[in-house]
Amino acid sequence: MSGPLSTVLAEMQAGTPTVAEIVRRSGLDDSVVRAAVDHLVRSGRVESRELSMGCPASGCGGCASATEEGAPGCGLPSPVPGRRAGLVTLTLTRR
Amino acid sequence: MAVTEQPGRALKLPLLVGPPSVKACCHTGGGIGAGPEAPVVALVGAPNTGKSTLFNALTGSRVTMGNWPGTTVEVSRGIWKTTRDAASCTCEECTCDPSELRLDITLIDLPGAYSIDPHSPDEALTRELLVGVPEDERPDLCVVACDASRLANSLYLVAQLRELGLPMMVALTMLDVAAKSGVTVDLDALAVALGCPVVGIDPRRRTGLEALAAGVREHTGIAATPRPVPDTTDALELDDDRFTWIAQAVTAATSAPAVQPRTFSDKVDRWVTAPVLGPVIFLAVMWLVFQITTAVAAPLQGFLDDLFTGPVSAGATWLLGQLGLGGTWVEGLLVSGIIAGVGMLLTFVPLMTLMFILLAVLEDSGYLARAAVVTDRLMRSIGLPGRAFLPLIVGFGCNVPAISATRILPSARQRILTALLVPFTSCTARLTVFVMLGSVFFGPYAGTAVFAMYVISIHLVVLAGFVLRRTLWRTMGAEPLIIDLPAYQVPTLRLTASVTWVRLQGFLKTASGIIVATVCAVWLLQSIPTTPGHAFGEVPVAESAYGVAAQSITPVFAPAGFAKWETTSALVVGFVAKEAVISSWAQTYAVDEPADGTPGTLGERVRADFESSSGGHPIPAALAFMVFLLAYTPCVATLAAQWREIGARWTLFGIGMQLVTAWLLAVAVFQIGRLFL
Repeated sequence: MSGPLSTVLAEMQAGTPTVAEIVRRSGLDDSVVRAAVDHLVRSGRVESRELSMGCPASGCGGCASATEEGAPGCGLPSPVPGRRAGLVTLTLTRR
Repeated sequence: MAVTEQPGRALKLPLLVGPPSVKACCHTGGGIGAGPEAPVVALVGAPNTGKSTLFNALTGSRVTMGNWPGTTVEVSRGIWKTTRDAASCTCEECTCDPSELRLDITLIDLPGAYSIDPHSPDEALTRELLVGVPEDERPDLCVVACDASRLANSLYLVAQLRELGLPMMVALTMLDVAAKSGVTVDLDALAVALGCPVVGIDPRRRTGLEALAAGVREHTGIAATPRPVPDTTDALELDDDRFTWIAQAVTAATSAPAVQPRTFSDKVDRWVTAPVLGPVIFLAVMWLVFQITTAVAAPLQGFLDDLFTGPVSAGATWLLGQLGLGGTWVEGLLVSGIIAGVGMLLTFVPLMTLMFILLAVLEDSGYLARAAVVTDRLMRSIGLPGRAFLPLIVGFGCNVPAISATRILPSARQRILTALLVPFTSCTARLTVFVMLGSVFFGPYAGTAVFAMYVISIHLVVLAGFVLRRTLWRTMGAEPLIIDLPAYQVPTLRLTASVTWVRLQGFLKTASGIIVATVCAVWLLQSIPTTPGHAFGEVPVAESAYGVAAQSITPVFAPAGFAKWETTSALVVGFVAKEAVISSWAQTYAVDEPADGTPGTLGERVRADFESSSGGHPIPAALAFMVFLLAYTPCVATLAAQWREIGARWTLFGIGMQLVTAWLLAVAVFQIGRLFL
């Protein structure tokens, strides 16, 4: 098995840190790699999570992406409308 | 015929399926209105491919909207009125009336779906309609809307539909967007690669719709040869085969510039995320942040210090004197306690503001995301779970939310390990003490000294993680992680100001809440005499409950070079909050005036005590103190968070580990440092 999907998976397992780096190393078309990553996320093999960096010193309650219940908003889409897209992590899930 | 949805009422949308009704001659099928015999065309495609725009362009107002029976999925159905080209009629001697050349098609706009795998109700419905119903009830044709600018994303659905052999064709949208990024699509080559007709359209400008109509008329009801698939039940292998097919189609049909234009972000990322240069740039950037912070904020800090120790204290003393409270415990609490302690902390507001602004700018520009890549690589190199870097980075702001952020880790063992490492990250509360000691002992190199503490902090995390991973956590697996980096962007004033204000608010909240309470507690302990002959509030600090308690632990720190009770007492107070180290020093030295009556600045008094406790090696002693402060328990709030997240046993283990590590490091720093400094 050595198709684009398994190539992308192999790169992730090997620790290639960014999508752009996977494109460069695999030689695959950029759109194919991004489609493969999207598919891996949809199929549950990879977890995608938006990160909120640098929490406020006041703790989770002061965080723009904290939930209403006060739980930390780390990785949750921000409730603040119009917030810029931030860092997204993709984590490989063992299956 | 226009049917509008009535609020609160889900319209039933039975699929009007009849036998394939597009015949060779215009005399049969179709006609005015889309009756039971009208062909049914299903419009499918991934979200945001322009599918609904196309549906609206084709059907106009002839639309019914409502939930699909038995589901909550909203589906639109409309009539697509098409007209045949008379020349295409196959009657030998066509006498068709022009009105008879019309063919009305029932068009179903299925919800956006990336695939027919039932991952969502939308996809489940698409699957049910295309695969789950008997063959004679399926649509006569599937038109798959595909985004030319993200072609590969759209083609997974096409690959699945091709495996089923359904009558289908592709409507390619967003060709103009693809062209803007330098990508052109060869429609004929794509049709060959996909094995089905492809029509380029722009539903917004209503171009290509006639060609689409002609294609639909031509191919409705004509099943395609199913695409062969590997004989396997392995989902990954099947998906891989589909992506191989997709990659081949993309390669065959698209042409991008020979050299992909490198964006500004690409060019910068080549350097800032490089394995060796990336960490060096990261460290250089952080050094610059601390250097700017300490250099620019120093004059403002000095001004505020003069303000609190001068006019504010003098004004409060005068006012209390006027009220008849001069020389009483009230004056001691307010002037030597609250104003000295909290005032000293407030002198750090300009510094913290500047620091928060710089960090917010780095964050908003997208650089901190790159720093995460660098950090993540470091984490993985020692076998820590990839996602652990998030709470650890958060910890550099505040340890409390960082402990809570360990919840994102999937296993309990990972959460415990990361929660034990978080206290080694240098939070902004410790920054105030570092800056103060850096200014006192290192003068113009204060920024570098503070920066060094952050470097040591990172090394402590890595070292502690390395040791724990090879002892208590030997069996824990590591998870790979990759990051999709956002493009660099110009920081916005609004966002920078907002983030800075929220963080500054947190700092001020701590100063006005926990620190005021701690100052009062310290004042109370400093007022309680332990020897006869002193009244409450009139006892030298050394003979107060505070001083005596501090003296009892002081010998422990003799090997680290800071065995003076005035110094070590601040470490005890620092258990409550690290900012309290400064306020307690301010209180202690404000109350405990030197015998010669010349008070001197707080910095001078602190330096003098380090000088005497270290045997003439104040700089290594100060460094040892800073390292101890870095490594020991951050604050009670962090302990509470740890207790909640990982339980009492691991929290106590963490306290012990931090104290032992802090003491050993402090002793090592002093003993080695005094050989050279």
